Amino acid sequence: MDIGALLIEAASLMLTGMIGVFVFLSILILAVTNLSKLAKSDTEVPIVPTKHRQLSNGVPSAHIAAISAAISQYRTKQ
Amino acid sequence: MDGLLNLWQATGIANFTIPTLIMMAVGCGLLYLAIAKGFEPLLLVPIGFGAILTNIPVAGLAEPGGLLYYVYYIGIDSGVFPLLIFMGVGAMTDFSALIANPRMLLLGAAAQFGIFATLFGAIALNYVPGFEFTLKDASAIAIIGGADGPTAIFLASKLAPELLGAIAVAAYSYMALVPIIQPPIMRLLTTPQERSIAMPQLRVVSKKEKILFPLMVLSLTILFLPSATPLVGMFCLGNLMRECGVVDRLSNTAQNELINITTIFLGLAVGSKLAAEHFLTVETLGILLLGALAFSIGTASGVYMAKIMNRLSSNPINPLVGAAGVSAVPMAARVVNKVGLESNPHNFLLMHAMGPNVAGVLGSAVAAGILLALVG
Repeated sequence: MDIGALLIEAASLMLTGMIGVFVFLSILILAVTNLSKLAKSDTEVPIVPTKHRQLSNGVPSAHIAAISAAISQYRTKQ
Repeated sequence: MDGLLNLWQATGIANFTIPTLIMMAVGCGLLYLAIAKGFEPLLLVPIGFGAILTNIPVAGLAEPGGLLYYVYYIGIDSGVFPLLIFMGVGAMTDFSALIANPRMLLLGAAAQFGIFATLFGAIALNYVPGFEFTLKDASAIAIIGGADGPTAIFLASKLAPELLGAIAVAAYSYMALVPIIQPPIMRLLTTPQERSIAMPQLRVVSKKEKILFPLMVLSLTILFLPSATPLVGMFCLGNLMRECGVVDRLSNTAQNELINITTIFLGLAVGSKLAAEHFLTVETLGILLLGALAFSIGTASGVYMAKIMNRLSSNPINPLVGAAGVSAVPMAARVVNKVGLESNPHNFLLMHAMGPNVAGVLGSAVAAGILLALVG
């Protein structure tokens, strides 16, 4: 086979090869995107709305959380 | 007197030829690169030593009856060793960066242009007197651009076993040279502004996704490209063992003991193909040249693809990560990170580059499957 014919064959191989790789990996992209949707919907924990409960002594839980965060920040600084 | 003469005839000194001495020097050169320079030492030490053993006169280690001959016959001629290595690589690969941002697969696909452009280049080299590459030879040489040792050896053993030594040496040498080959190309094709683009943080990937991913890749390969299933199948098996969490012992064996044992023999077997009469040809020079071309084109096409994606996408994409699409895990990703840090010292691209990096492994396995299906 002469080189010219081989070159044409190589060029067509280049074209089919690149199209093949792109098509295959594009299908894979679609599949992975769907996979993450599927896996996410299964693993997502329903968020239960939490009410701000008042403690018996009348201090709101948000205040207690803020104070304890400040204490821990102070401790870590030391 | 006759006895003494016979003894002299049995010495190495009496039987050395210039080509075997050159090849032993090449073996020593590979050992030097591995030991003193730290270039892919895990492979270049056994390959370099194998090259020395193969070219020992009289002993005939790489001829029928010799150890290296059988190691090659059992491990590479059959295609077993590269596939075992691929299983280990699968067990070492974390796909979370790719699952979190699957579009990075496009970069892994674009970088494979290095393979197919080199295929064309190898045939074009036939115009130079002394080169007679067939389409099979050209395909085996071109896969060097996949920057993936086991894939290159697997394909070369199927398509052009006589060129395997040169192809494997070129593939592993250029993989070691990634930090030298890639950065100039990356800097040339991008502006400092592009290089300092920060990418949004990747989401957390669930265990279920990681387990389903190898199974899905395998199913798609079975459906669309069964010729790639030896490579992709072993890769997915290794990855599933890693991610499923119930066979940690097997996963550890695949990524440690098994891959180490196989690497020793794979290196020796590749070394056995570095016999003077096969290696010291003008074709070897051509293969080394084409290999460098394949790496450079792969890097450039990856960067260009990332630039296009950056223009079209709503999320910014740093064009540098495209260079990691050539595989060469994890070296190429580290190079991307390093070049990115030069432009923006707060921009760590390593995790973002791991996506195209592992996509490149899949991409080159797919390209090998396509070449096997069309040329093999």
